[in-house]
Amino acid sequence: MTATDHNGAVRTAVLPRPATRDPIAEFFAGLAAPGHLATFEGQSATIRFDVARADPGHWYVTIDDGAVAVSQRTSEADAVITIEPPQLEALVTGRLNAQAAILRGLFTCEGSIAAAMMFQRCLPGPPGATGRAAPISSAAVMAQRRPE
Amino acid sequence: MSDQLVQILEGNTFVVSDERGDIEASTTDPTGLFSFDTRFLSRWVLTVNSERLTALSTDDLQYFQTRFFLVPGSGTVYVDSKLSVIRQREVADGFHEELRVLNHRSEPAELTIRIEAASDFADLVEVKDALAKKGSYHAQVAGGSLVLGYRRETYSRETWISATAPAAIDEQGLTFTVTVPPHGEWSTELDVVASEGALDGSVSGPVGIRGQHTRRVRRNMARGLEKWLRKAPSVECDWEPAEHIYRRCMTDLAALRFSTLTMPDRSLPAAGLPWFMTIFGRDSIFTSLQALPFAAELASTTLLALAERQGTRIDDFRDEDPGRIAHEMRYGELTAFEERPHSPYYGTADATPLYVVLLDEYERWTGDHKLVRDLEHAARAALNWIDEYADLQGNGYVSYQRRNAKTGLENQCWKDSWDSISYRNGDLPGFPRATCELQGYAYDAKVRGARLARLVWKDAAFADRLEKEAADLKRRFNRDFWVADGEYFAVALDNDGRQVDSLTSNIGHLLWSGIVDKSKARSVARHLLSPQLFSGWGVRTLAEGEARYNPIGYHVGTVWPFDNSFIAWGLRRYGFKAEAACLVAGILEAAEVFDGRLPEAFGGYPRSATRYPVQYPTACSPQAWSTGAPLLLLRAGLGLEPQGDNLIVDPALPLRLGNLEVLDLPGRWKRMDAFGRGRIDTDRVTRR
Repeated sequence: MTATDHNGAVRTAVLPRPATRDPIAEFFAGLAAPGHLATFEGQSATIRFDVARADPGHWYVTIDDGAVAVSQRTSEADAVITIEPPQLEALVTGRLNAQAAILRGLFTCEGSIAAAMMFQRCLPGPPGATGRAAPISSAAVMAQRRPE
Repeated sequence: MSDQLVQILEGNTFVVSDERGDIEASTTDPTGLFSFDTRFLSRWVLTVNSERLTALSTDDLQYFQTRFFLVPGSGTVYVDSKLSVIRQREVADGFHEELRVLNHRSEPAELTIRIEAASDFADLVEVKDALAKKGSYHAQVAGGSLVLGYRRETYSRETWISATAPAAIDEQGLTFTVTVPPHGEWSTELDVVASEGALDGSVSGPVGIRGQHTRRVRRNMARGLEKWLRKAPSVECDWEPAEHIYRRCMTDLAALRFSTLTMPDRSLPAAGLPWFMTIFGRDSIFTSLQALPFAAELASTTLLALAERQGTRIDDFRDEDPGRIAHEMRYGELTAFEERPHSPYYGTADATPLYVVLLDEYERWTGDHKLVRDLEHAARAALNWIDEYADLQGNGYVSYQRRNAKTGLENQCWKDSWDSISYRNGDLPGFPRATCELQGYAYDAKVRGARLARLVWKDAAFADRLEKEAADLKRRFNRDFWVADGEYFAVALDNDGRQVDSLTSNIGHLLWSGIVDKSKARSVARHLLSPQLFSGWGVRTLAEGEARYNPIGYHVGTVWPFDNSFIAWGLRRYGFKAEAACLVAGILEAAEVFDGRLPEAFGGYPRSATRYPVQYPTACSPQAWSTGAPLLLLRAGLGLEPQGDNLIVDPALPLRLGNLEVLDLPGRWKRMDAFGRGRIDTDRVTRR
């Protein structure tokens, strides 16, 4: 896959989509659902997303030794991401790479860059990737190797 | 690149200028101020009364600081100037330059001092290609500063230039109109700050990319180097060059240290200076392994930084898989716009198993169980990658084949040039390729992962499984890779599972990993020291006699000091003390010729033919894993191996070294000294 293909794939993947779907809300609901992500074990951080002209306008992710909770609080956080709705939607659906996007100035991060780096681990990859095996969840990496 | 260029750096910010301190970038002389892979100054030219200056001398005070002594005029043989100019430059988040003009006459000097400045904001990757830029430039004078800017959509970078002395500032530079008293002096301080540029397009002040205050950073840098050298073990040796080589290595390692945005107070080794001052999975891991006995904190930072960037997704453009360790991180415009995949790029097949190897070796030296616990998930994900994602052919071996066919890497092993992996007859195999050292690293990762699972993660079942898999891999490997008629291991299996049968230095890495059956080890050691592979200075990447052998071919005949340091360690692992001592002698003697700073590679000509090692031309010096090579050779020569809470010393040193002492080696034993006396006559092999 080339850079152009990649960008092309990003563009074509944007439309069409059902008007009723809310990928951002779905993503955050999915993030909180398991309650615990092994990839975050031993790590703690809070990340707040300030989303301009959107309802809700804030997402607040709390990571506490692997436990993940999501709310719409507006309290202080280790990292504050300021982002527009289309960019956030692209990030949480894997159509936009967080590292490239921040270099490009598509969103800003204030506070702890380490917290933001940590959070990006749970973002999905681009749709249509052809890797040899399907991605497995971090919980599975730990679980399949744990003895009963 | 011309020899006259001067480089100074801090982290990934560096300045390359001519010996006057001027910057006039061209495609052949890639000079400039670079930060985060972007050129922030492509022109920085000093004139006095419209005249350029000539360098009398240029002193590197520190790796981040240079002083230029200049006189006006165009450099005739006889210099009789009534003026001197001293420029002292230090790198931080940009650079800081102190400019002093001394008047040696007994009457006042009326001077117009001018600094011309411009920037092309080139991505470091495109510097030599002179690619057309897709954004637009702007320059303006704002609040006493000259601001040079570049913008492409929401991507914005700015250079802020200011001076402490009153200046007339225009969009091309700064002019100082001054009168210097008789035998007096005029001075100013110039600050050049690399900035991200404000998102809303306003020009309100520099936004430091690292958000640190420049002056504080500078003071810390000077203290940091002193402290680093003071903390390091000391080396004493009857063979005089040894101490110089060691000091050079430690100073260069200090210069190669690099802090990530996420861990500004810690440092890891970058790959090379100045163009590769970034995270490279493979290079950072190998260098950390080499330096472990001397500076273990490089290893812990490397392990943490690579865990932060460990793959979590399937992404074809970046060749990313879950658990895969990153190959290279870049911050320039091409990466930002996904015209290059380095955000980060994951196309390396060795960094992931080597990650587990480093974690285990780090624990053996330091006893730091906390880090091993903290990185349990990362290590397990890396081990999982070996079986789930790297076995591209389903034959139980680690292979590589890029999914990003346009900008991804074709060869994802350390010999990454296009012709590095070939059959004896010179043909190149198809993809996927399973190179032999990858299987060694995978074996070692499983063995070491099992040890950590038992010792720290308290997961005996996992340890049992890894050990079983390792034993199975070793058994199959010794059967499938063994070239029976040559009695060595094939460099790879091709896409049909056939042996790629050339004789290469890769077999030395197999000893280091422990994957070689005892019964086959002697043959491997014999080949490594044979005239086909051993030049007298070191082991060649490809044996003389193979079709693609070329003594100055990048991976097809040159000698790589880093390669040799791991081979020496491997020879020691299997008990080949005298053979290891030959590599220790050859590479350290080459280091003496290179004044302590080993290049990335040098020519594979027989030592008897050239008498001096012939340097292979490369852009980077020092190179991290060449810098680390003498450190690992000292370890191999002294036979340093942690065993529980003790450090075993079992020296096998070249006669020429005489007595060698390494004092205050840090580790789980706190501090220990190691002594050895050279008893092995290596000359009959190295100078045959």
